[in-house]
Amino acid sequence: MFDFAFKSAEEALYMNGHGIYVWSVVIVVAFCLTFAFIHYKIKLKEFRKRFNEPD
Amino acid sequence: MIKKFIHQFASPKTYLFQVNRAYKYIFYFSLSVYIFSLIWGILFTQEDFVQGNSFRIIYLHVPASFFSQSIYGAMAVASVTYLIWRVKLAAYLIIAMAPIGALVTFLALFSGSVWGIPTWGTWWQWDARITSTLILFIMYLGLISLHNSFSNHEKADKLLSWLVIVGFVNIPIIKKSVDWWSTLHQSASITLTDKPTIDPSMFYPLIGSIIGFFGIVTCLIIISSKVQIFKREKNKSWIKDYV
Repeated sequence: MFDFAFKSAEEALYMNGHGIYVWSVVIVVAFCLTFAFIHYKIKLKEFRKRFNEPD
Repeated sequence: MIKKFIHQFASPKTYLFQVNRAYKYIFYFSLSVYIFSLIWGILFTQEDFVQGNSFRIIYLHVPASFFSQSIYGAMAVASVTYLIWRVKLAAYLIIAMAPIGALVTFLALFSGSVWGIPTWGTWWQWDARITSTLILFIMYLGLISLHNSFSNHEKADKLLSWLVIVGFVNIPIIKKSVDWWSTLHQSASITLTDKPTIDPSMFYPLIGSIIGFFGIVTCLIIISSKVQIFKREKNKSWIKDYV
């Protein structure tokens, strides 16, 4: 069940020509999720800063 | 009695304190499960007999598609809760979930389109499943823009709740589109009632990626809802104590 499906790392990247599709989706999903987390963390930080400022 | 229970446990203050405790555990657990399942699915399962290696997009596409609809379902439940019991937190959650729903639906459309190139020979087809998912994406964007266009938050919450409930009709259409119409999109491989039609070696990492993605989406909704609460409750004294 946990046997590496490819003969080498290059083959895992290339995937018989399908690597471009698979890895581009992985990159976009990772980027979008990371961006969303960072965006909300920055917003929360701004609110915290505003609340901590003296009136 | 239900009203009393809901109001007691669904106050923004109680919610913030409760989710803060759980957030870190959910985040690290779901991130680990998601990354582990993706590595397992993408690098350690054998090539599909028909689709070749492009089938590996399933581990990113299926969780995104599933939660694009589930988030809308959760928004519909929150809308009903808000309209019946006037729970403020439900209104905050609706607008907090909408951008996350839009993002997840975008990921479902993008991954599906990319998967379509090697599988169908086209990245887009105006078939029932893809078109109804595009409508869902436009609905999310419309709900966000509509809410932002109002200066009166209460009016916006009420209108948004009604629109979410009306728009819910699209969810069963998306779900059943592959059965009701002849589509390029295949029918569901996993259902609650039947045995999965995919091999167990591909099925287990898929379940892992769905569980992991669920946790990640939950964490995104939690921080998005915190932003909404901070925005809407900024004049309350407890917020300063909380921060």
